[in-house]
Amino acid sequence: MISLQRVTKIYRNDVTALEDVSIEIDKGEFVFVVGPSGSGKSTMVRLLLKQEEATKGDVFVAGKNLSKITSFKVPHLRRNVGTVFQDYKLLQDKTAFENVSFALEVIGKPKHVIDQRVPEILEYVGLGDKLNAYPDELSGGEQQRVSIARACVNRPLVLLADEPTGNLDPNTSVDIMRLLDKVNRIGTTILMATHDQAIVDAMRKRVIELDNGHVVRDQSRGVYA
Amino acid sequence: MARIEYFFRETAAGLRRNGVVAFAAMSTAFIALFLFGLSLLIAREFQLVTTQLTGNVEVQVYLSDPVNRETVGRLSDRLLDIRGVSTVEYWDRAKSCDHFKNLFENQPIFTENTPCSVIPTSLRIHLAEVGRFSEITALLGCEVVIDDDGDAHQQCAEPGVRYVADYQELLDRLDALTRVLSLSVFGIAVIMLASAVALVANTLRMGMFARRKEIGIMRLVGATNWRIRVPFLIEGMVESLLGAAAAIAALFLGKVFIVDSLRGTAPWLPLIKNTDVIAIVPWILLAAVLVAVIAGTIGMRRFLDV
Repeated sequence: MISLQRVTKIYRNDVTALEDVSIEIDKGEFVFVVGPSGSGKSTMVRLLLKQEEATKGDVFVAGKNLSKITSFKVPHLRRNVGTVFQDYKLLQDKTAFENVSFALEVIGKPKHVIDQRVPEILEYVGLGDKLNAYPDELSGGEQQRVSIARACVNRPLVLLADEPTGNLDPNTSVDIMRLLDKVNRIGTTILMATHDQAIVDAMRKRVIELDNGHVVRDQSRGVYA
Repeated sequence: MARIEYFFRETAAGLRRNGVVAFAAMSTAFIALFLFGLSLLIAREFQLVTTQLTGNVEVQVYLSDPVNRETVGRLSDRLLDIRGVSTVEYWDRAKSCDHFKNLFENQPIFTENTPCSVIPTSLRIHLAEVGRFSEITALLGCEVVIDDDGDAHQQCAEPGVRYVADYQELLDRLDALTRVLSLSVFGIAVIMLASAVALVANTLRMGMFARRKEIGIMRLVGATNWRIRVPFLIEGMVESLLGAAAAIAALFLGKVFIVDSLRGTAPWLPLIKNTDVIAIVPWILLAAVLVAVIAGTIGMRRFLDV
């Protein structure tokens, strides 16, 4: 589902973020990418979204070589890849329902699909009673649930999560991880960049450790360090 | 359907959010398009004046004394041979004198001091085709010479001809005046159009900046570039077309309140009509669309990359 083949990413200011990285992630896997700040986790996420292009090597997502697809096709790639971030990236002037429906609306889904899927997914993430709440009326954990709902509402093949628990307390983080696990179990491939040691240790999933742009460990059912 | 509704909802929201700047862009577009239309109307007005002048014009060939019948007949035949000349009429001294007296009826100081004997006889030539003056002067061998005192006057080689009253110079001046006036208004219009483009582009850019978070999310969830851009393009189009509508209204009002009030005071002056204003409407709309398209291209250039 995700494949990095000898990928090197050097930014314009000559900073090498990733060097000769090769990774294979199968459909339905749940993978943690761990490592200290600046180790290249976020760069990996950006490469998978084609927000950045690899300097060398090939990146495959959902069977497509990202260096070969035209910018015209990038939006269609992203419809298959859900994203969740540390800062939720919710629109403050829209309700939970509107934040999620926005994602379907802007890719041209008809109203009847929106009206059916949005309450369904919000129910699924446990916010069935908060459809009309604005982000500032929701707790951090609830806001992250809205953002997960938005990432999943178009039924993506892959979910990329960049530090999704970074702003949350340990108990809330556990709830979010349960939710991501649930999303994973319906077949969504999940790649989660994190440095939340407790969570990685508790989940016992595959762990890829990056350090200074290199893969230093790739371990199934691993722990943080 | 849902898509069109989406675009217009986003556009309306953008205009509301960006009110003051959108208003600035609209007013600049209005002034620019108004001046653009004005330059077209000025050109049209001068075209009307020129047509009237050349349409009614008579070329007068003044004859030198003494006049004999034979010269009149010979000159008439030769002038009638020129293509575009419809009639040639001989005005003898009595007729010329009556005409002179009629013309200056209210200024007895002229008529009392001018004996009929000094008023020249002439051939009055009607032209069916305008712009044939130069052929008449050429035929009669007339040219402007500068004498020793530095004064310019006309001399004709043809015997019996004193000089030809030639309107070419007047027309040339009128033409130059038209050109200067409408070109300078057009020049100002072009500068204003350029600033309208800049201002519309700026509102689009500000709108995109204000909504950069939203646009970022749209990109992440896979909205196409067009989906992101079209509301802004419509916004620019709306601003520019509202400016055009105001400009068209202002030109009509100007025509009704300024031009039409002149109609009684100067009956000899042909004036632009409503149809002339209607005729320039498509050009104003076209200019407005161009302003929006160019502004959209410039304003969104930096936001195009995925």
